[in-house]
Formats: sequence, C-alpha cells, structure tokens
Amino acid sequence: MEDPSRLLIVDDNEDILSTFYEFFNSMGYEVKTAVDGFAALKLLRDKSNFFDCLITDLVMPNISGVGLISIVKKEYPHLKIIAMTGYGDQPGALASEAEADVVLFKPIDLFKIENTVAELINQAKDNKKK
Amino acid sequence: MSTPLIGVSKSILKIKELINHVANTCLNVLITGETGVGKEVVAQNLYAESARSTKNFVKINCAALPETLLESELFGYEKGAFTGAHKKRPGKFQTADKGVLFLDEIGDMPMALQSKMLHVLQSGEFSPLGSDQEFKTDVWVIAATNHNLEESIHKKTFREDLFYRLNIIKIDVPPLRERKEDIPSLLEYYYRLYKSEYPDNHGSKPDSDIIAKLCNYPWPGNVRQLQNCIKKQMILNSWAKIIEELPQEHPESVPQIETDIRMNGAARPKINEINDDRTSIISKFVDLSTSSEKLFEDISLKKIKKLASDRVEKEVILFVLEKVGWNRSRAAKILKISYKTLLYKMNEFDISPPVK
Repeated sequence: MEDPSRLLIVDDNEDILSTFYEFFNSMGYEVKTAVDGFAALKLLRDKSNFFDCLITDLVMPNISGVGLISIVKKEYPHLKIIAMTGYGDQPGALASEAEADVVLFKPIDLFKIENTVAELINQAKDNKKK
Repeated sequence: MSTPLIGVSKSILKIKELINHVANTCLNVLITGETGVGKEVVAQNLYAESARSTKNFVKINCAALPETLLESELFGYEKGAFTGAHKKRPGKFQTADKGVLFLDEIGDMPMALQSKMLHVLQSGEFSPLGSDQEFKTDVWVIAATNHNLEESIHKKTFREDLFYRLNIIKIDVPPLRERKEDIPSLLEYYYRLYKSEYPDNHGSKPDSDIIAKLCNYPWPGNVRQLQNCIKKQMILNSWAKIIEELPQEHPESVPQIETDIRMNGAARPKINEINDDRTSIISKFVDLSTSSEKLFEDISLKKIKKLASDRVEKEVILFVLEKVGWNRSRAAKILKISYKTLLYKMNEFDISPPVK
C-alpha cells in the first residue's frame, strides 16, 4: 500500500481545526494541525520533508496565513498550499500574490477541498516521476 | 547600542522566539501594544537579528509630524517642489533602502498618505515630491501602533488593504501589569544601565521588599514609566518616596472619598479630592510621573479613548465569557459581535480560559 498523504492544517478556530482533522483522517490522510502560522512554521522547520500539502487559514495571530505562505514558498517550494479565507478579497488577494496554489473562500465544502488536495498531491507526484 | 528584549515571562519568551523565526524573512511586521511597552525595542531586535543589521534602521513617527511634512520626510523632494525646497532631499524610503523602515504610530497616519504607503508596499516604488520619476526601494517595513487597527478600519480612519498588507506578521507586546514576573529583571537591567551612565549618582538598588511593592503596581505607563522611576531613584535615592509618588489606581481612591464625605457630612468632596480622583483616573492611561513636556507629548485624547474603551471591553468580555462557561459562540451572540471579532478581541486582550 502507498503511504498516506500528509497534511498540515492551520486555523485559529479550534472548531474548524477539529472538523478538518476528523474529516481528513477518515479519508485516510495523516493529519497534523497548528493553531497559527507560528506553530505551523515550527512544525515545518522540525520536519521539513514530512508534509505533502498545507491548508491554511489567512487571518491569524503571530504569523498570518499570508506570512506562512510566503515563508513556505521560499523555504519548502515542493509543498502544495491551499489558502482558505472568509474575509472577502483582501487577504485572498495577498495569498495569491504570495503564490498559494489554490485560494478558496469560506464556507468550503469539505469534499471539494479533499478533491483539490488530491489533485495537487497527484500533480506533485507526477512531476516527481517526470 | 540596541536594547535587548528583557523579560522572563511566557509572552516575552514567545516574542523572542518569534523574532528568531521571522527576522530573516523580511515580511512586513505590525507590532501592537500599549504606550511604553517597548514596541520599538521589538523592532530593533528584529533588525539586529536580521541580515539587514549592517544597513540602516530608519525610524519615523507618523503621529509627530503634520501630513505634508510626513509626506516629504517619507518620500523626499526635488529642488523647487514647494516653497522653501531649496535643494533636493532624500526621503526615508531612500535612506532605509536595503535596511529597515520603522513606522511608529502608523495608526495615526493620515488617510491620504496611507494610500501612498500602500502603493510603495505593493510596487516597491515611490516618487519624491515634485518628481515624475519612480524610484525602486527595498525596505523592510516594520510598523507599530497602540491603536486597535481593526476598530480604526471600522471607523474608516485606517485603510483595510494597508492593514492586511502590514499585518503579515503580528507581534503583540502585552502591558507590564500582565507580565509582572518581568519587573525584577527590568529593574536590574535599567538600574545597571543608569548606574553606568551616571556613575556619580548613588541611588540604591531596590531590596526585596521594594521589588515586591513595585511588582504589585499596575504600571499604566508600562516599561517607560518603570524606567523613569529608576532614573528618579538615581537622583532622589529614596524608593519610599518614589513609591509614594506613583499615581494610584482608581478603585483604591473611591472608598477614600466616600468615607471622607461621610466624615464631613458634606454632600460634595473637597476640590482636592476631586483633583485626586481625576489624576487617579488619568494615571491609568498616561504616565504622570514624567516631566510635563513629555507628559503633554504623551497625552492624546484618541489614545486615551482607545485605552479606556479597551479596558472596559476586556472586562465585559470576561464577564460574559464567565457567565456562559467560556462558550465563545454564545458569548459572541450575547455581545452582538461576530465570532471572529470575539476571538480577535480575546487574543488582543490576552483573554484565555482558566487552565483546567
């Protein structure tokens, strides 16, 4: 069997975080969570090659989602990034500028995100094979 | 030259760790916190730990200058750009190139300048007054404010797009009264510093009794007020007198007045007491222990309004949260604010549920 894909999910809303955790776990992913960009960055620096995909909220204390995306794109360019925002256009536009692979607007259908995650990870795997 | 970030509290240690992780990213930083907490010290530490530490650290106070002057300070001007522009002058964006531009009191920047600011942050280009040429600039922008910028956005005094562009990394420095464990090390540090600056002064170090008293004081003027007290000690050499002169908190003075009324049998407190009452209210928000020149610089109705409303807001939020057993969505409904706003405010005021 193939190794499960590994996700890092970042959101300062614990309800959202646990919903995502449960959902992706049940879909067979290996999931780690962080409550803000700083906690996420520490996890990433600890295990830089561990994750396949990062799903992050944008408006968070300490290091915002936009900040996290900018850092990750520079330091871990292989990592796929999905940004989620419920805040209208401002942070979403900044996330695109920071080169998030996909920007989604809340409320988000969990199955839809899962589709996107699977697509991004497959893409990355295909690229690797080439 | 730069001041280290002093403290042993959880929040200060976390800030140090955060600085360590982001100093080399050059992402825009917004530092928030009450007046006197050391926002500039945080900015200097970011700079000192970054690869830009060999370049310039340029500071500008957005509240201290009138709009037109602030604009020409930031962007510079060409000869003849306006009456009195006898020669070309470089702006801060130019002097800070490859280094750090520290925008203090960004919350007080006039709206018109905010949009120019946004343009530079987006494009990395600016043009001096009277010039039609755009210049490239590579500055690391670190901004600081004691305003709640989300509220300012609401009141339309701060641009939302600029806020999100600055708020990439946010460092909130809590007031001293919320990290009392930092007081002894701050006392030690500044005592040594002032002693070395003025070796002829003989102010004694605080003993454990005095330290305990100082730790129990709420320090409305935060670290700056504490620094001033230590400076005063260097000259007065009487901790007893310095502690006696510390502006007292309001709640302690209220019963005092009430008993006085009863004792005098008079309906109104004496003028003196009204004045005491007044200073005690004001002292919660402004450091009254400084010279009057400095004091007048510090007093700003806008700032005081913000500090006062924050204080009440925090208490109301805590009150409601406790009533509903820390159910945040219920609390948000009762307070008639959105869930996100509540979370934001809880974070801003450092409100967290009691540890089980």
